[in-house]
Amino acid sequence: MEEATQAFVFFWLAGLCVVLGAMLAFFSKVHWQRRLGTTLFGAGFLSLVLTPWTLSFSPSSAFGHLLGSLVGPAVLLGVGLYQIAFSGNVPVGRLSRTDRNVGVAMVVVGVLWLEAMHWWVLTPTYPSEVNRYWYIFWPTMLLGVLAFSSAGYAVVGLVGEERQQEQRLMLVSGTLAVVLLLMGSLFDGPNVQHQRFASELLLAAADIFGAIVGAAVAVLLFAVVLAFYEAQQPVPQRLDPPSKDQLEQASQIIAQHVGGETEDE
Amino acid sequence: MSDSSPLRSFARLGAFALVPATMVLLLVWWTSVDSTDGTLVRFTNALLTSFTFVSFILLMTLFVYGDARKRPLAPLLGMLMSVLLGVAMTVYFLSQGELLMEDNGSVRAQALSNLIRLGTTVIGIGLAAMVVAGILFASLMNAPPRAILFEEE
Repeated sequence: MEEATQAFVFFWLAGLCVVLGAMLAFFSKVHWQRRLGTTLFGAGFLSLVLTPWTLSFSPSSAFGHLLGSLVGPAVLLGVGLYQIAFSGNVPVGRLSRTDRNVGVAMVVVGVLWLEAMHWWVLTPTYPSEVNRYWYIFWPTMLLGVLAFSSAGYAVVGLVGEERQQEQRLMLVSGTLAVVLLLMGSLFDGPNVQHQRFASELLLAAADIFGAIVGAAVAVLLFAVVLAFYEAQQPVPQRLDPPSKDQLEQASQIIAQHVGGETEDE
Repeated sequence: MSDSSPLRSFARLGAFALVPATMVLLLVWWTSVDSTDGTLVRFTNALLTSFTFVSFILLMTLFVYGDARKRPLAPLLGMLMSVLLGVAMTVYFLSQGELLMEDNGSVRAQALSNLIRLGTTVIGIGLAAMVVAGILFASLMNAPPRAILFEEE
């Protein structure tokens, strides 16, 4: 197979399968379509992760390498947080205290693993230098944690009462992100220089901001199309106000049900 | 629940989400960054890529909408408008010089590189959202149950 065809099949077609599969799995109401979506997503994801072997000649395979490097910490964090949450006050299917402890251990190991990817020798390296997509992923994730934690702090304050513990947790995670961002910008890691991290942080911020603006423009555009068509819909027919007889009948029915009498009486 | 108006709450939420991150970025820029070359290029490329990708996804929802509301032309109008706006933005940014090109040799390579970068950004943001939402949810679920106190009549 030609290199371009290989790249198309194992990378771009696989990426399309991931996107379409995720959309089918999330949005379809038909069972077999959801299963098909999950299968497409899994097959596409597997193909992407295998690109360092199937497309070793292509620079795009660095993305597959990053995905493979992140599977471990992501699974540990996801499963760990799930175990902690569902060992709490859930009425059905509550997990045991051991599950909770295992969950805490998984989260701690997941966080340490991610930290070791910057501050220790576990940095994703492909083929012989630091994976270029790691430089995008890590500042983006830290900025995301900071923004979501501070937004979460505000949301908990706005909609919750006596939620000081949750606010404290949001403060801790946000502060941790700030410390990591500043440390990464001021001190060299074993594989990542601080100047490189700082400039990649600004570029990651530009990426995030650009992506948000682009998505917002697209949503606005499609909202205009919907508003245009919805404005053409005929006004729904208005019903006449209820007559005196109908009101009386309604009041009788209500009185029968809220009068406080039981059927025995 | 707070008594403030929805607009004020929304503004407060936006400020909380943006201000700390902006402060950190300014601090990093001030202390460790010599040059901000390439930031505008990355912003522009991310904007165009994100616009194209989200339009593609929304276009699929327009097909469902057009089918459900008996408006078969809705997807075509959506397609036309997104193409026109996308072309207008691309032409504008291209007219500013070699703005859209980075280290890649061709426009196709640049477009593919942009798409992979958008994927990386989405994964970073998605993992961050999972961690923060997971922490919040785990804490809420592990809080002691609260009794609802009714006032005596």
